[in-house]
Amino acid sequence: MAVLGYTLRACLPARRWWGVLLPCLGAVLFGWLTTVADTTTQRAFAFVAEQGLFGLVMPLTCLVIGDAVLAADRRAGTFAFTWLSPVSFATIVVGRWLGGWIVALVTVVPALVLATVVAGVPEGLVAMAVAAGAGSAAYIALFVMLGVTTRRSAVWALAVVFLGERLLGEALSGIAQVSPMWEAQQVYAGLADDAGGWRLVRDGTPQGWAAVARLTTIVIVTLAVSTWRLGHLRPTGGDE
Amino acid sequence: MWFGHKVALTELSCSFGPGVTGLLGPNGAGKTTLMRAITGLLPLNDGIVRVLGRDPHRDRDVQRAVALVPEDEAVPPALTARRLVRYTAALHRVDDATLPERCLAAVGLTDVADRKVGGFSKGMRQRAKIAAALVTRPQVLVLDEPLNGADPVQRVALIDLFHALGDQGHTVIVSSHVLHEVERLASRQIVVIRGRLAAAGEHHAIRDGLAERPRSVMVRTPQARALAARLVGLDVVRGVTVDGHSLVVSSLRAGELAELLPRAARDAGARLVEVRPLDDSLESVFRELLQ
Repeated sequence: MAVLGYTLRACLPARRWWGVLLPCLGAVLFGWLTTVADTTTQRAFAFVAEQGLFGLVMPLTCLVIGDAVLAADRRAGTFAFTWLSPVSFATIVVGRWLGGWIVALVTVVPALVLATVVAGVPEGLVAMAVAAGAGSAAYIALFVMLGVTTRRSAVWALAVVFLGERLLGEALSGIAQVSPMWEAQQVYAGLADDAGGWRLVRDGTPQGWAAVARLTTIVIVTLAVSTWRLGHLRPTGGDE
Repeated sequence: MWFGHKVALTELSCSFGPGVTGLLGPNGAGKTTLMRAITGLLPLNDGIVRVLGRDPHRDRDVQRAVALVPEDEAVPPALTARRLVRYTAALHRVDDATLPERCLAAVGLTDVADRKVGGFSKGMRQRAKIAAALVTRPQVLVLDEPLNGADPVQRVALIDLFHALGDQGHTVIVSSHVLHEVERLASRQIVVIRGRLAAAGEHHAIRDGLAERPRSVMVRTPQARALAARLVGLDVVRGVTVDGHSLVVSSLRAGELAELLPRAARDAGARLVEVRPLDDSLESVFRELLQ
C-alpha cells in the first residue's frame, strides 16, 4: 500500500497530468470526428478506433503514465527512497504498475468509452471499456519494464510503439500477437462484433476474451522481467 | 568498482563500527561510490561488501538496518516533508505512529512539515532526508555531506544529533568536505584518495603515522630572530621561517624539538609567548596525504 500511495501521490506531478489529460481530450475529439465522416457511423468509428484510439491515444497516454511511475523516478534520483527499503522487488514493481493502471483506469478508459458514446456507437461501450482496461494494463507493464531495463526509456517506448508495433506489427503477425496495441484492438474486435468491431478483426491473432488473456500474459511476463531486472539495477540518479 | 573505463574504487579495504566515522577525500575520490556500495545501492564489479555479515545489494533484509542520506538534492518534489517521512516509515513497517513526528522535530522541520519538499532550500531538503532516514531506526546510518546548506545553528544541532546516535551504539558514517566539521563530528576518519584507501584511524594517529613528513610548530616570541638563529643550528630542525614576532619551525622529530626548544629559547634569551603545532589539524593531515 505504501508503494501504491507513493506512486499516486508523488509520481504524477501537475505537468504529467496535462500530458495524460490532453490525449484523453484528443480521444473525445476523435469520437466526435466519427459523426462528421462521410460514411456509416460504425465504419467511421472502426477506422477512428484503429488509427486514433488504439493506435495513438492509448499508447501515448500510457507512455506518459508508465514512464512516470518508475522511469522518471529513477531518472530524478528519487527511486533510491523506495529501493533502499526491505520491500521486495516484486512488491515495488507491482505497486508501481498498479498505481499507473489505476491512473489509466480513471483517465484513458473513461476517455475511450466517452469517445465511443460521442461517436454514436453505444453498443460498443462495454467492449471498449474492456479493451482499454486490458490494453492500458499491458502498456503500463511494458513501459515499467522499459523503465528498469533501458536508460532512455521514453525514447525506447516511442520506438517500441511506432517502429515496433505500428510499423512492424502492421506487417508481421508475430509482433502483433505480443503487441498491446494490436491485442487491445482485437479485444474490441472480438467483443463488439455488432458494433462494427468485425471491421478490425485481424486474422492470426486472438480476439475477444482470448486477447484479454494474451494481454494478461504480457502483463505477467513484463512484470516478472521488471522484478528480475530491479535486482540488477543501479538505482542512482543522473549524476552517475 | 568501475564505471566504464573509470575506476572509482580499487584496493580499498576498511571496516566501520559503532560510533561516528568520518569519510574524507577530495571531489571524485570515490566517497559517494563507497557509501552507495555500503548501502547496496551500487553492486560491486569485484570485491565484497558486508553489512552485519550480509550482502546489502542482494539481501533485502539488510535494508532494515541501513539508511542512506544521499548528497544529491533529489527528493520527490510533490510530497510534503511529513509524507516523505511517513512513506519511508511505512516501507520499513515502523509501527510507532509518533516516530515520524519525533524525527521531523529532531531535524527542526516540524513547522514546515506540511510544505512540499520541492520548494525547500538545500539545507531543508537535507534535513528532510535525514528525518526520512532516522525514521527507519537504522543500525547503520550513512550520510553523504549531510551538513550541506545547513545554517550554523542547524549544523551544531545536526552534529549533536549524530554524536548522540554514535553514543547510542549506531554506526554513523559521515562524509564532508568541510574538514573542521569532520574533526568535530568524528574522532575516527577514513581517507579515500583516487579511489584508494589513503589512511584510516584516529586523526592524530594518522598524523603520527606520517612520520617521514616534517611537522610545523609556530613559536611566538619578541626575540624571534635570535631564537631562529639558535634553532637553525639544531639537527632536528629542517627549516625556520621568521615573520615579525613569530617563527615557524619545521622538523621531522617533533618530540625532540619539544625538548630542545625551551633550552634554545633560554640560550637565545627569548621569552616564549606561544608554542603551537600548525599541522595537527585534520585539514593538514588531509593535505599531506593528498601530496
